[in-house]
Amino acid sequence: MKILLVEDDTALATELAKVLRAENFVLDRAATGEDAQHLGETEGYDAVVLDLGLPKGDGVSVLRAWRAAGRTLPVLVLTARDGWSDKVAAFKAGADDYLVKPVRVEELVIRLRALVRRSQGGGASRIACGPLSFDTGLGAFEHEGLPLKLTGLEWRVLSCLMLNRDAVVPRPHLIERVYEGDADVDSNSVEVIITRLRRKIAPARIESVRGHGYRLHADPA
Amino acid sequence: MPPTKKPPPPHRSLRTRLLAAAAVLVLAALVVAGLAIGVILHRFVRGQIEGHLDAQIVALRAGLEAGLLSQNRDAPPFDRDGPGWAWEVRRGSETFVSDSLRGGHITVTAPGPDDDPGHPHPADGTGPRGERLILRVLTVPGTPPATIVAAAPQAALYGPLREALTSLALALGILGLCLIAGLALQVRLGLAPLRRLRADLAAVRAGRRERVPEEQPAEIKPLVTELNALLDQNAQNLERARGHVANLAHALKTPLATLSMALADPARDPDGALRLQVDDMDRRVRHHLRRARAAALAGSARGRTQLAPRVSDLHDALVRLYAEKGVAIDLAVPDDLSVPCEGQDLDEMLGNLVDNACRWCRTRVRVTAASRAGGIVVRVEDDGPGLDDAAAEAVMARGRRLDEGVPGHGFGLPITLELAELYGGGLTLGRSELGGLEAELTLPA
Repeated sequence: MKILLVEDDTALATELAKVLRAENFVLDRAATGEDAQHLGETEGYDAVVLDLGLPKGDGVSVLRAWRAAGRTLPVLVLTARDGWSDKVAAFKAGADDYLVKPVRVEELVIRLRALVRRSQGGGASRIACGPLSFDTGLGAFEHEGLPLKLTGLEWRVLSCLMLNRDAVVPRPHLIERVYEGDADVDSNSVEVIITRLRRKIAPARIESVRGHGYRLHADPA
Repeated sequence: MPPTKKPPPPHRSLRTRLLAAAAVLVLAALVVAGLAIGVILHRFVRGQIEGHLDAQIVALRAGLEAGLLSQNRDAPPFDRDGPGWAWEVRRGSETFVSDSLRGGHITVTAPGPDDDPGHPHPADGTGPRGERLILRVLTVPGTPPATIVAAAPQAALYGPLREALTSLALALGILGLCLIAGLALQVRLGLAPLRRLRADLAAVRAGRRERVPEEQPAEIKPLVTELNALLDQNAQNLERARGHVANLAHALKTPLATLSMALADPARDPDGALRLQVDDMDRRVRHHLRRARAAALAGSARGRTQLAPRVSDLHDALVRLYAEKGVAIDLAVPDDLSVPCEGQDLDEMLGNLVDNACRWCRTRVRVTAASRAGGIVVRVEDDGPGLDDAAAEAVMARGRRLDEGVPGHGFGLPITLELAELYGGGLTLGRSELGGLEAELTLPA
């Protein structure tokens, strides 16, 4: 899952990035309202963690601009402001969730995952696809009832395919969700991960759709 | 015994002062007018009487010179015994008296100055029965010289004078009453803008108005301008204080958040002890920031806040905050209700209550509001476990013991209570028919 982390305090942003990466999130970072607005309007993210007090454009204004531009990406506001008027203002501007600093890592991660799941139409917190199941709250995969061990990159690819199961996920979209904005992506690396995943999740299978991308199937056919 | 404090001097009302001053002036003016008119009347009546006496003296002198006095037949009022009208003429050993004297004599007790020989001059005297008389005396030169005295009773002077003065006093009294009534009316009209000002200020305090209207009489306008400036300054101070609290919150929480994130790494905090410290710091910071925010309150609002839109906005926010739990929040808030509170404070009170309900409910929360005799009542109910009386008391008391306050369950409730009390309202906890807690927030209407 790819997250845009908008936080102007460098120390906090660094720590946040560290813990979120440890939880297999893919991160882009923005430190100003201006950057955040630009990234949110041009890049594809599964969710945004947005601070409200930002230089060059307050968080609420950024949020409003995204919504005005028709961007529906889910936004979790993470701020020091804990007044109810601030919360109401953020939700009115289009926020989907609101956490007050400081926040426990577990709380942040659970709410981020829940936010992504809800935004992608998943009502249930457990998604099944043949022998595979995915607990979106915990971010854990099971294969035929047993925990499935995955590397970070594998988890990112599989969770993206799982959330879009039975649909074709375009290759660029997948790369975007797996690698961070400035990473130098080897075009073969995704193919390598897919190959490894195919072995782990059989008899479920990942179909390559030529010229488009990949599709996760439940039936072995 | 401790020395008893002197009571402060009574602050007399402006109206009393103005009325007292007016009454004294009117009274003084009427007394002076009464005295002046009295003196003039006295002179006038006496002048009339003296004219009458002088005419008699002229007649007597003519009679004397013609030697006709002995056969004189007196005309009224000099022919009658009793009232005091009389005359007497003395020349050498001869004495002629009026019929009314019946042989008695007029005694001159206080001869007046004879400035103008040949004309009668005034004097006082008494009659044969000792009655007081007003005299006119003329000395006619000759050998021997003659003295003509004409007398009128003092009653002839004071009787009509008393009558005239009685009527005069009555007229002046009525005039005085009319003047004082008129002045009272004038004072009332004059002070009317002050009464209106008081009503306007009360309206500002109750939140029905934002400012005192500037359309005022010239004398009051500067006062109103100053008042409005004071109100504006208060609002600005409040705004600034809130800004400081917000900055402080940001300044404290950002590093705390960083620390919290850093300690998520087990390598840095193997036994979790530092983590507990951070959590404790967080609680304390939150607690004291809320206290600081509450302290930055005016306790009164400029203007009223509509209840329904605020509740509706909070509903939208809380439904999303508790999206995972799936809380159903029913609202029944009439559109026409408003309360004299700052919007932010109202958000804080309602937000804390509804948030608490959402946290503890199973699936349902209900918010209802109604206008009652004692003010506006907002009721927030949930279907959770609720609180028994002792626990409810403990929760409410926690907010009062500020320094040892360890925020936990229902930390929002004491804050709400404190805010409500600042606005002259209150908060009571009970059991809801939904099964859980019922928090009833009362705010002035």
